[in-house]
Parts: sequence; structure tokens; C-alpha cells
Amino acid sequence: MNRTVYVAALHEKGHFMQETFETISFAQELDKGKIVLLVLADEESVTTLSRQLFLETGLDTIGLKGNFLKGYSAEAYIKTLSSFFRDKEPACVCIPHTSQGADFAPQLSVALQACCITAVEAVGNGAFTRTMFGGKFKVEIRPTKQASVLTVLPGTWNPCSHGNIVQGELTITDVPDESVSTRTHGIRESSHKNAALSDSEVVVSAGRGVGKQENIRILRDLCSLFPKSALGSTRAVCDLGWLDYTHQIGVTGNKVSPRLYIACGISGAAQHVAGMKDSRLIIAVNTDIDASIFRVAHYGVVEDLARFIPLLIEAYIKRNRE
Amino acid sequence: MRILVCVKQVCDSADTLSVNNAGAWVEHAPKSVFRINRFDEYAIEEGLRITERHSGSVLDIVSIGPQRVQAGIRRALGMGAHHGIHILKGEDTYVTPLERAFLISEAARSRHYDLVLTGVMAEDDMEGQVGGLTAAMLAYACATNVIYEETVPDRGEITVEREIEGGSRECITLKLPAVLTIQSGINIPRYPVLSHMLKSRTAALEQISAGMLGPSRPGQVIEKISPSPPAGIGELIEGSPYEKAEKLLEILHRHSLV
Repeated sequence: MNRTVYVAALHEKGHFMQETFETISFAQELDKGKIVLLVLADEESVTTLSRQLFLETGLDTIGLKGNFLKGYSAEAYIKTLSSFFRDKEPACVCIPHTSQGADFAPQLSVALQACCITAVEAVGNGAFTRTMFGGKFKVEIRPTKQASVLTVLPGTWNPCSHGNIVQGELTITDVPDESVSTRTHGIRESSHKNAALSDSEVVVSAGRGVGKQENIRILRDLCSLFPKSALGSTRAVCDLGWLDYTHQIGVTGNKVSPRLYIACGISGAAQHVAGMKDSRLIIAVNTDIDASIFRVAHYGVVEDLARFIPLLIEAYIKRNRE
Repeated sequence: MRILVCVKQVCDSADTLSVNNAGAWVEHAPKSVFRINRFDEYAIEEGLRITERHSGSVLDIVSIGPQRVQAGIRRALGMGAHHGIHILKGEDTYVTPLERAFLISEAARSRHYDLVLTGVMAEDDMEGQVGGLTAAMLAYACATNVIYEETVPDRGEITVEREIEGGSRECITLKLPAVLTIQSGINIPRYPVLSHMLKSRTAALEQISAGMLGPSRPGQVIEKISPSPPAGIGELIEGSPYEKAEKLLEILHRHSLV
């Protein structure tokens, strides 16, 4: 029986995403046996891409070539992979938990009659660990089906190291033409990009815990203490209309890595943390001692920010006067 | 257009949660308040906007869970939804995405919806799977993270923009019927209207027992659930609020930030 672990090697504009290499590391940790990397692409790029991945990893690589695979669509990916797996019994299909991977993984799991576990952060004893409730709980989930489709949380595993010894082989396979009804019209660049935010040395950032729009002013005041500073926020704050989306930090917003990041009333959901975890010094102010932001913060203050931040500003002014 | 919006009821505040006795799921404190998952509110609103653009449309709500989830369905009716379907499923246990999608697709199959909408994820389990799984079970097209949609029912199509990394948008056109998972921020969900709310209090909800739809096939089980370990490298600053402020300034000073 073929109990291979497969990795969907996601790529964009002719390059593999960092998350693809992280997902390969994850597959290696599963230690279930043979690993096969799958590259889905059109005739023009499939050979170059597959060869590149094969040379970098030394692992078995299969390029799946189809002319309807120019650019990404969930429908094209699912049709290709379903037909590829028709005569196989994969143990796991590992997919990066990106906007593409998370898009097609659940649908693929139905086609493969597999279970689907998303945003996996750890493995052990046949179970996969992910967080729930905004990071407050760790949950170990054990599949009760033969095959599993797993999406791997970005930034959790180190990218796989270059394979010095070539163990595998490289194959390119034609995918029979499928009728794909999804039409893709390309990518529209983000209007949320904010150079002032990504260039700042200090970012003061607001979460839902700010409580009300008026309290944003307190954070602006704090911000103004620092030269080269900017105001950031979680997506929730933008959704509430308290700040516009150019302030948003996280997976679907801006990525920042300032010298100082002050997280105010931010719970610390993975989607936000992904956009700020590389900050050099992280300070979190939150009333909830269990908030997961305290797991990434270097220093934590358990206080109501509406009370604490004005005190901090006052102490700062007093200190400067002395 | 015939539209179904899948709505989940979630606990309002995570700080009233603890691991249950069996260690298999969470337990809500008696004072817990439940409400509609925020992401699903955007889905309800988007569904309502589509029904307003295309006359003769109907919008149904489906929700899975114990009796209490009816409050969420009634709130959605208060916002303007036409009909509520309650899939009655036991007590507060973990219902896997696969089970949820199975129940929704079985309830939806014979009703021939053109569109099934739901939020990008539930705020509690955050798995983000029900949309995709339901689409695959119904053999509908699917787009996730939808931040813009334009329905063209005459052509049997819907054009959407999916939000991807960095806030960029992927534009695609799908054939109807389709499942969309709706990203927060696509609209501003309306408040329920009082007259609708009053009507919804007495509106007859359709109740289906989960068992009637077929045997439970969870696909996965929770082996263990535990609070995430406390802060690793970080340090909590202690003292009175003012002392904390002073200590924090000292730290900033040490890092040459003030």
C-alpha cells in the first residue's frame, strides 16, 4: 500500500513561497515514510519550477502539467489533485496555510474522503495540535480517517534545509484536460499598504480591547511621544470603522518590524501576530492575563489601557521635566 | 436568487471558558452570553444586500446546535432574513467542521440554493472549513475570503474578489450555484429592525433533528484540549498602575527608546 506523504508546493510568479519549504519541514517531522512534492503549473513553467524544487530539496518531485493551471484557482487545483490521487492512498497531503492553501484544502479533503485539519502548529502521538479561541486553548486533534489533508501554519517550522544528497527523482506528468469553469482575472494590488507604518521605529497598535473609538485618541497621544512612530491596529478595529484599513497589521494587512511595538487591547490572534512578531521589543497592555498576546510580548502590563496609557504619558512628561 | 446563510452561535467572552470535565471540549460559565459569530454577521448582511438587489430573492438562515442557537436565528430574522432552519444537535460538545458541513449540505440539498454564504471562520474553533467542505459536498463552486461580490443571476455567474496576503485581491468569476465565505469588512452589518425583531420572536422556525439527516461522521476527534501555556520569554510588570508605568519607562529607557 502506498502510504506516502505529499506536499503541495505552492508558488507564485515563478517562485516557491517560503511557506512551501516550511511545509516540507513539517512533512519530514511526520516521519511516515516517503515524501513526494507536487508542483501544479502550466506547460510554460512546470519544468523549470519542478527542477528548481527538486534540486533544492533532493526529494521526489512530480510536476503536474496542465494548461488550465496557469495561475491559481481552487477548482483547477482540486480537479488536478483529485485525478492524481485517484489510484493512490496518501497518508497525508500537507499544504501551506496561505490564502490559497486554506482555500482549496477543505474541498480537496472531501474529494479524497480524508479528514481536514487546518493551521497545524505541532505534531505528536498521531495527533495534530492547533489553537482555538484566539490562541487561548491548545487542541490536539486525531484523525479518524485513513488520509488527512493538513494545512501548516506559516512561520511555525523552519524552511527545510537544502538536500545535499539527491534521493528522489523528478517526473513531469501531463494532467488530462479538465473543463474548469472558474475564470481568473488576476490580482489587484492592496490599497492597505502604508509605507509610514512599515518604516516606523515605533508602532502603537490598537485592538478591540480599546473599547471605543474615542480611546484611539489616547493611543495617538502615546504615539506622539516617539519620533518616527505610527498608529497600527488589528483587523477588528478597522472592521468596526474606528481606523481605516491602511492601519491594519497582520496577514491581510501590513507587516511591520519596528524597534518597539506596543500592543494595546490586542488579544493576539495568529492572523495579527503574523504581521508584527518580528518587532524587536514587544510590549502588551491588556486586561486579560490569559490573552495570547502575552505569549509573544517581551513585557506585559495587565491593566485597562484607558487608565494605564494616560498614566504612562504622565510619567513620561514628569521624567522629562526632571 | 435563493440564498442560504450558515450562522454559528458563539460564546461572547472567551474569559468565561474552561476545559470541561471530560477534557474533550470547553465549558461555558453559567453567566456566559451567546451571540452570532461576527464573521457570519457579514455573511448575513451581504446576503441581505443581494436579496435587495434582485427582487423575488429569498434568504434562509441555518444554524446547528442546542436550543439556544435559536436566539441567533431570530436575530438574523430581525435583520431581515426570511426563514430560519434550526438543526438540533445535542449539547455543548465539539461538532467537527465535517459534521457541520454534512448537516448543512443535507439540509440544503433539496432546496436548490443559488448561493450559500458563511463567515470566513468561527471565532471559537477558527477552523475556516465549513464553507469549503459544504461546497464540495454539494458540488458547488467555492470562493473563500470574499471581500467584494457582484452577482449576475441572468448569466448564472458571480464575480468576486478574494482577499489574499497583504490585503491584495484575487478576482475570479464563478458559475452559480456557489458557496462564498465572507471576509469581515465587506460591509457594515445592520442592526435588527424592531418590527422584524417582534415578528421574529413568534416566527415558526423549522427544526430538524441532526440524527434525521444521517449518521454522525466526525472524521476527527479531540484528543486533548488545554489552556495554552503561559508566556515563554516575556515578563509581567508588577506593581501599582503608576509603578508599572515607571518601570515600563525604565525599560524603554534601557532600550534607548525614550
